[in-house]
Amino acid sequence: MLRPRSRYGRWWIYLVLTIALVLVIAPFAWMVLGSFKGQGELLRNPPTWWPEAPSLDNYTQLFARLDFGTYFTNSVVVAVAVTAGNLLFCSMLGYALAMLEFPGKRVLLTIVLGTLMIPGVVTFVPLFVIVANAGLIDTLPGLILPFLVTPFGVFLMRQFISGLPPDLLDAGRVDGASELGIFGRIILPLCGPALATLGILTFLGSWNNFLWPLVVAQTEKTYTLPVALALYSTGQNNTQYGLLMAGACVVVLPLLIVFLVFQRHFIEGIATTGIK
Amino acid sequence: MRTPAIAALTMAAALVVTGCGRPADNPSAAPQSASTVASGPATGDLTVWAMGAEGEKLPDLVKDFEAANPGVKVTVTAIPWSAAHDKFTTAITAQKTPDIAMIGTTWMGEFAGLGALDPTPAAIDKSAFFPGAWGTTEVGGTSYGIPWYVETRLVYYRTDLAEKAGITTPPTDWDGLKAMAKAMQEKAGSKWGINLQPGGTGSWQSVMPFAWSNGAQLNNGDQWTFDSPQMSEALKYYQSYFTDGLANKSPAPGATVEPTFVDGSEPMFISGPWEMSAVEKVGGKGFADKYSVMPMPVKEKSASFVGGSNLGVFKTTKNRDAAWKLVQWLGQPDVQAKWYGMSTDLPSVTSAWQDPALASDKKLATFGKQLETAVAPPSFATWEQVAAKFDAEIEKVTKTGSDVDTSLKTVQSQATSIGTGS
Amino acid sequence: MSAPTLAATVQLPPAASSPKLPRKRGSHPGEGRAAWILAIPFTLLFLAFTVWPVIQSLFMSFTDTKQKDLRTPFAVNFTGLQNYGRALSDPVFVKAAANTAYFVVVGVPLTLGVALLAAVALDKGITRFRAVYRLGFYTPVITSIVAVAVVWRFLLQPDSGLVNTVLSWVGIAGPNWLGDVQWSMPSLILMATWRNFGTGMIIFLAGLQAVPASLHEAAAIDGASGWQRFWHITFPLLRPTLLFVSVTTAIGYLQFFEEPFVMTQGGPLNSTISLSMYTYNQFGYGNYGLAAAMSYLIFIVIAVVTALQFRLLRENT
Repeated sequence: MLRPRSRYGRWWIYLVLTIALVLVIAPFAWMVLGSFKGQGELLRNPPTWWPEAPSLDNYTQLFARLDFGTYFTNSVVVAVAVTAGNLLFCSMLGYALAMLEFPGKRVLLTIVLGTLMIPGVVTFVPLFVIVANAGLIDTLPGLILPFLVTPFGVFLMRQFISGLPPDLLDAGRVDGASELGIFGRIILPLCGPALATLGILTFLGSWNNFLWPLVVAQTEKTYTLPVALALYSTGQNNTQYGLLMAGACVVVLPLLIVFLVFQRHFIEGIATTGIK
Repeated sequence: MRTPAIAALTMAAALVVTGCGRPADNPSAAPQSASTVASGPATGDLTVWAMGAEGEKLPDLVKDFEAANPGVKVTVTAIPWSAAHDKFTTAITAQKTPDIAMIGTTWMGEFAGLGALDPTPAAIDKSAFFPGAWGTTEVGGTSYGIPWYVETRLVYYRTDLAEKAGITTPPTDWDGLKAMAKAMQEKAGSKWGINLQPGGTGSWQSVMPFAWSNGAQLNNGDQWTFDSPQMSEALKYYQSYFTDGLANKSPAPGATVEPTFVDGSEPMFISGPWEMSAVEKVGGKGFADKYSVMPMPVKEKSASFVGGSNLGVFKTTKNRDAAWKLVQWLGQPDVQAKWYGMSTDLPSVTSAWQDPALASDKKLATFGKQLETAVAPPSFATWEQVAAKFDAEIEKVTKTGSDVDTSLKTVQSQATSIGTGS
Repeated sequence: MSAPTLAATVQLPPAASSPKLPRKRGSHPGEGRAAWILAIPFTLLFLAFTVWPVIQSLFMSFTDTKQKDLRTPFAVNFTGLQNYGRALSDPVFVKAAANTAYFVVVGVPLTLGVALLAAVALDKGITRFRAVYRLGFYTPVITSIVAVAVVWRFLLQPDSGLVNTVLSWVGIAGPNWLGDVQWSMPSLILMATWRNFGTGMIIFLAGLQAVPASLHEAAAIDGASGWQRFWHITFPLLRPTLLFVSVTTAIGYLQFFEEPFVMTQGGPLNSTISLSMYTYNQFGYGNYGLAAAMSYLIFIVIAVVTALQFRLLRENT
C-alpha cells in the first residue's frame, strides 16, 4: 500500500468520513426513527428527531393487518427464483458470447445491447398482455418469468468471462471435455465473484419491484411485500406516514442482510468483471 | 446474405402497414341501454376490487350480504391507491377485470370509454342519491354504476382565530371570505389568510367550486368552455388571494395543511371530510373545539366539488345478476349508514344522512348540506389530460401573476385540440 | 424507475469497454452447437418477454394507437412519423428534455466525483471500519424511494427543515428548495447523487483495489507524491471502471423518473419534469402511439450519449 503515514495524517480523514457518513445516513436514520412515531408527530412542523413517545404501534398494526407470512414468502420466492434464473442463464449466454464462435453471435449481441437502452415503460403494457394471454396472471410464475433473464446479466457475465484466460478452453478440449462440460466444470466455478455481484443486484431489483407485481396480481395471495405495504400506507387523500416508515424498514432489512453476507464476494466481484 | 433478410423484413413491414386501419363507424358512440337483472337471491362467486381502507373493511360488510344470500361467495381484493389507475387500465386491456370494482369518480369516463363497464339497470333508482354524485356515474348519457360514498369540499377555519379577528358569523359570499382572510392575517397574527393550492395536480378542485358558484360550466355538450367570462371572473378572484399576499404561492411540495392550520399560520383551508380527523390528530386533545367548517361562499349559487368513489360492474363479468344485486345492496340506506359507522365514508344516498350518527354531528351536517349542490366535472375520457393542462395554467396565474384571460384561452385551445374523446 | 426491466431498477448494466476477445482459433467441432444450446434458454425467454413487446411498441409509435385500441392492435391508422413530430414540437416535451439534460450534465459528473472521492478515501485514507462506511454509504441505494422522499421533503422544508436550520446557524437564509423554480432541480440532483453514489463507490473501490501495490511502492521510492501517484498510476488504470460507472449512471439518469414523480410531480412550473415522467403521463392518458414515440426518442438519446461516452472514455489500448 502507501508508505506509512504518520498517525496524525489519518485522523482527519476519519473525521471527515464520519461526518459524511452521518449526513448520508441521516435521512435513513430519520426514517427508522419515524417508524416509532405516530401520524400526529410525523406531520408536525418543525419536525422532531427523536420520537416523543416511541411505540411499536406502527409495527404491530402492520403485522396484525398484513398477512405478513404470505407476502414475505412471495417476495422471497420470486426474488430467489429470478436471481437463480439470471445467474444460470445469463452466465450461459455470457460465456457463449465471450468465448465461443457461432453464427448469429453479432446479431444477438447487438439486440441485447440495444434493448438495454430502451425505457422500460414502453414495453410494460404489451408485456402484460403477453403474460395475460399465457394465463400467467395472478401466479408467481407470472411474476418470475419476464425477469428470469436480463440483458444486464448477460453483459456482466460476458465481461467477466472475457477476462478469463482463453487457454482454459484449449486445455479443456485437450482433456477431452465436451463443450458444455467446459462451461460447467471449468468456467463456471471461476465465476464466483461475478455471480455474487449479479446475484445481489438482481435480488435487490426484484425485491423492490412494485409496479409489476401490483398489476399482475388479481388476489391478495399473490401480493409481494412492497405491494402489501403500499396498501396500508397510501390512501386516497392522505398517507399514513408511520406505517410507511415502518413498512420501508421491514422491506429494507432483508436487503441489508443480503448485502452484508455477500459484501466480500461483491467487492471482489466488481474488480474482475472485465473492467480492467 | 443480408439482402434477402432485409427484403423480407421490408415486405413484412409493408404488409403490416397496409393491413392497418380503423373501421369507418364508431360503434361505442351511441348511448347504451341496460339489460334487466333477474330477481331472486344472488348466487355464485363474485370478485370485488377496492382500494385502500375500503378494501380492508369491505369484507366485514359483505358478510351481511352473504348471510342474506346463501349460495353467494364474495371475494374482496384490496388494492393500494398508488398506481391503482395503472392496475385498472392494464386489467381492462388484457380483459382480466373483476366482477365489481370501486372506481374513482374521475376515472368513470375513461373506463366507460374503453367499453369496460356495464350500464346501470333501470331497477336502481337514481333519485335516492345526491344528484351531483349520480352525475359522476353518467358518461355520454348512460349511467355506469352507482355512487358508493361521497365527499365534498368546505372551508375549514379556526374559530378561535376568527374571534380574535373580530369575525363572529362565518361569511357567505366571496367578498366576505376575502375580508375574513385579511382580518385573520392582520388582527389574529396569522402569517397567511388562507391556504389555497397554487396550481399543481388537482388544484382545479379548489378553483372550480368558485367557478361553478359563478355559473361557469366546463363544457357545453361535447365542447369545452374554459374561456367564459364567468370562469375568468372566478379565476381572477382565486388569483387575487395570491397577488394580495393572502395565500402562500410557494409552499413546499408535499406539505400538508394540518401543521400550519394547527399552528395558526394558515388559519383557513378548503378540503374534504377526511381532514377533520387529520387535523385533530395533529392538533391533539381539545382541538376539535377550535375549528369549524362553513359552506363554500356563494356568488350566483351554492356549489362545491363532489368526489368519492363509485361502484361499477365490468362487462366481462360472468355473474352479472349477482354483481348488480350486491351493488344495489351496497346502495341501500341502512347498509350505507352501517358502512359510515365502519369506515367514516360519507353515504351517497340522501336518506342515509338521517341516521343519528350523521345527523347529530354539526360539522358533518354542513358537509351533507353542501353535497346537495356539489357537482363534478364532465365524465369525458380525456378529462384527466385536460385537467392537467388546466392545473398548469392555474399554477402560472397564481405563482407568477400572469394574465388570467390569456391563460384561459390557452387552456381552451389545448382542451379543444385534446377533445372530449367522444 | 418502477418499470419491469431490471436494468432500469438496478443502476448498473450494459456495455463496458469491449474486452480483448480470444483470438479466433478456428471453429471447433460442436462449438457452434454448444453455443446455441447455451444461448437457447435466454434467447427464448428474451424473445417472448422482451423483443416482442419492443416490436409491438415500436409499431405503436408509428400509429395513432390509443388505450382503447390495444385490444385490436391493427385497427389503427398508420401515421408515420407524426407522433415523433408532435413530441418534438410539444413545448412541455422540450422543457422535459432540457430538464433531463440539466440533470444528466450536472448529475453524472457530480455522482461520479462523490463516488470516486468516497472510494479513494475508503481505500487509501483509512484502514479500519471500512465495512461500516461501505455499508453506510450504500444504504441510500437500497432504501425505498417513497419512504425516503418523505424524509427528504421534510429535510428540505423552507421554514423548519433540517437543511435550512443548519444553514441558518452559519447565517445563510436557505431558499425554498423544492418550491422554487431555480432550486428545485438542484435539490433533485442532490437527492439523486445521495441515492446513487453508493453504487459507483463500490465499483470504484474494487477498481482501486485492483491497482497493484507494487506500482505505488515503486513510484513512491522514486519520490512521486500522493497526488502524482494518483494521477499517473491510479487514474489511467481506473479508466475502464470510470467508463463502466459513467455509462451506467448516464443511462439511469437519462431515464430519471422517480425523483420528480415522488418529490415534486414535475413542478414547480414544469421545472423538474423529466422525459420519462412526461412519457409515463402520456401512457396514463391513453395516448399510446405518442407515448411510444417519446420512449423511442429517449432511446435514441441514450444510444447517442452512450456512444459519446465510449468515444471519450475509451481506454488507450
